[in-house]
Amino acid sequence: MTLSHLKDIVRRCQAVQDDNFKPEDYELFQIAGREVVEQGGSAQLLEVIKDEKNKNIVRAMGWSLLGPLVKVLIEKEEESLPHCLAIFTHILEVCSPKELLVGLLEQVEDAHPDSITDTVILLLQPLQKVLLKLGSKKASSVGMALATVLSQVARLPVPYTAAQEDEDAFGLCRCCAALLAFVEPFVQEVRLSLGKGGLQDDELRTELLKFCMKCLKEPLMEANLKEDPDSSQKFPLRRFASEILLILSSIREALPSLLFHHLLKRKEEPGFLEEDVRYPRESLACLAYLLFVEHIGSESFPAVFSPVFVLQCNMEYIDLLLSRKEESRLQKGLDLYEKSLVRLEDNSLPVMLLELKTFLSVPQNLVNVMTLCPIQNLRTRALSVFQLSIDKFDMEAKYKFFRCMLKTSSHAGVEGYVIKNIRNQIDFALKPGNGNPWFLGIHLLPLLRLALSLPQGPETDLLQGLDRIMESLNLLRYLLLRDKESENETGIWTELYRIEDSFMKPLRLGLNMSRAHYEAELKSVRESRKLRAREAKAGGPVCTVTVGGEKLPNMTPEMQLQVLQSALNTFDMIEIVLARIEEITEVKPNV
Amino acid sequence: MAAEPSREWSEEQLRSDDLPKKDIIRFLQDNATQSFLAEHKLMGNIKNVAKTAKKEGLVLAYNQLFESKRFKGTEPEKEATDEVKEVKSDSKPKESKAEPVDEGPPKYTKSVLKKGDKVNFPKKGDTVSCWYTGTLEDGTVFDTNIPSTARKKKQSKPLSFKVGTGRVIRGWDEALLTMSKGETAKVEIEPEWAYGKKGLPESKIPPNAKLIFEVELVSID
Repeated sequence: MTLSHLKDIVRRCQAVQDDNFKPEDYELFQIAGREVVEQGGSAQLLEVIKDEKNKNIVRAMGWSLLGPLVKVLIEKEEESLPHCLAIFTHILEVCSPKELLVGLLEQVEDAHPDSITDTVILLLQPLQKVLLKLGSKKASSVGMALATVLSQVARLPVPYTAAQEDEDAFGLCRCCAALLAFVEPFVQEVRLSLGKGGLQDDELRTELLKFCMKCLKEPLMEANLKEDPDSSQKFPLRRFASEILLILSSIREALPSLLFHHLLKRKEEPGFLEEDVRYPRESLACLAYLLFVEHIGSESFPAVFSPVFVLQCNMEYIDLLLSRKEESRLQKGLDLYEKSLVRLEDNSLPVMLLELKTFLSVPQNLVNVMTLCPIQNLRTRALSVFQLSIDKFDMEAKYKFFRCMLKTSSHAGVEGYVIKNIRNQIDFALKPGNGNPWFLGIHLLPLLRLALSLPQGPETDLLQGLDRIMESLNLLRYLLLRDKESENETGIWTELYRIEDSFMKPLRLGLNMSRAHYEAELKSVRESRKLRAREAKAGGPVCTVTVGGEKLPNMTPEMQLQVLQSALNTFDMIEIVLARIEEITEVKPNV
Repeated sequence: MAAEPSREWSEEQLRSDDLPKKDIIRFLQDNATQSFLAEHKLMGNIKNVAKTAKKEGLVLAYNQLFESKRFKGTEPEKEATDEVKEVKSDSKPKESKAEPVDEGPPKYTKSVLKKGDKVNFPKKGDTVSCWYTGTLEDGTVFDTNIPSTARKKKQSKPLSFKVGTGRVIRGWDEALLTMSKGETAKVEIEPEWAYGKKGLPESKIPPNAKLIFEVELVSID
């Protein structure tokens, strides 16, 4: 029935002169054609399409059948498949490339989330064929096609383990391979054109550059690109990464000028947005990672740049990566930072570098990872990279860095760690021949004052600040033991009166206050156990704690006692060290 | 205004062992200005000062106090000591291009293979462009930017960078400043001015490697 309907339309259109079809004609043809396909009449449709008499009609309107045809091809309906495939192929041959392009891209855009891979794999080759027919004006169409396909591919989950990559359950790796095959002729075209002395600013070249940049961000930034030499697995995403870098090389985008772009450029590219599209920071960060950590593409990277300069350039990317929350970014950021630092000699980074914004924002980001990241191995790595970065600074830079950290940190653990580093540097400076004005001379005392202080005086929360307080006490004790009074190399002995006033006395006072408070609490908990039991039966406690939507069970009196006792033990611990220090500074009989 | 205190002790008494240092210090701390005490290192806990100060010095200070009459109330009290004023680590040092300390002879040698124009030499900060080939001492080529055929060379670009600014290894920075436009030179760089103890493993440069470059200075901007 629908077939005859179609045939009617076709017959009517045959009579139309000069292909002067009306919009209704197109619509009717499309609707009828779709119905025929949907009802399984594709064999007959094929006949209609192939009929010589209908040549012009098919050429003008054939592309509108793409939708239903693609649907059949994706769903692989066995009966209709061969016929639909034949119709599809025919249409690709005879219809206008521009219209086919629009039709095909529509199909890509409308792909069902579950059939993205199938759609992409099916349509990439036809797209390529169509684009190649567009001749010298193809650049913007190629760009459009790439953008459309990539935005669909970006919806596919990225495999993270080697096993997942091999399995490729959602087809991302297959899509990437298909994309490479797709762009191949265009890359060749650009390469040949550049070879003949063509313009570097060729539009097609720009589209390919944008394509590479997009791929570097999605999926490559998300992927785990580490190599396992023992594994027999193929690592398709690593290969994809290498191929992307090869494309960049083919289109004559030199890696150094890409990576150093933001550091070296003086003027903006024409068109502000153009800058972000040609040289998007996140893509370049991935590029830096590939080059310096995974060594992909390193054969084509000049081996003449100084390691300090490379670090300086990478800091921008490291900063970007470490300010994110995803494991994929953090892991890459930490790796990139570590690899950049490891190439430097210890004590070699000059203090001038600290004037660059990234040299302070990266450590801040590292601290955030160390203290807030839920993934334990990332926290640990961040700490070790933090220490590595400290080791690479020269003396003056270390000094300035420690001061900065102590002033800007709000985390006792970090402060404690920095104070421990200060102690190590003083220890180093005290060894013969190592003296320097930063950890031994006139600059030391201001730093010590910063390290040996109680930020909120006697009201400082001793439990929360424990890490810092213990390191401060250890530092003080170390100085008093190591630096003899008579020598007073560090100046600690003449400074002691001030430290007593600003640190030891308030600490002593705080300890007494806290201890008294907790002891009172302890007593009250013990006494009112019976009271609490009655309270619980009556109407429940005064406050409850909810975490993640779940109400936590109330602390039993036993648990409360434990916590209070443990606090008192902590105070004891602090007290012991404080007492030791007071012993050392006690008056000895006058000489 | 405190009235001038009286001299309690005579010279003999001061020097006698019967008079503990502590007492002198206490007197000085009670009667002298802050600045006087600071200058004589007499500030702080008496016990501590007593440990570091010698009797002689205290006697001297005592006498000086009465000579200079710098008693409490005769000078406005100032908090800041010189130390604190000196160390203003918060202020950003200007971007001083510190000249490198004289470390000894240059750690590279250059032999001219083809003379340049001998007129145009690059200055620090100029952008230079070079073709180069880098080899290790055993002859292994680890890097080059010269393509294999002359035709390709026409289509490629030489390496460009700002010379003398630490962007490249030191041997390059130093050597290129001595080259004139058009010159081709063989530059042998000791590891200290190349990649040092670490080397550059991914580029096949081992640790402590001496690098040999053939460099052609194409242009200066």
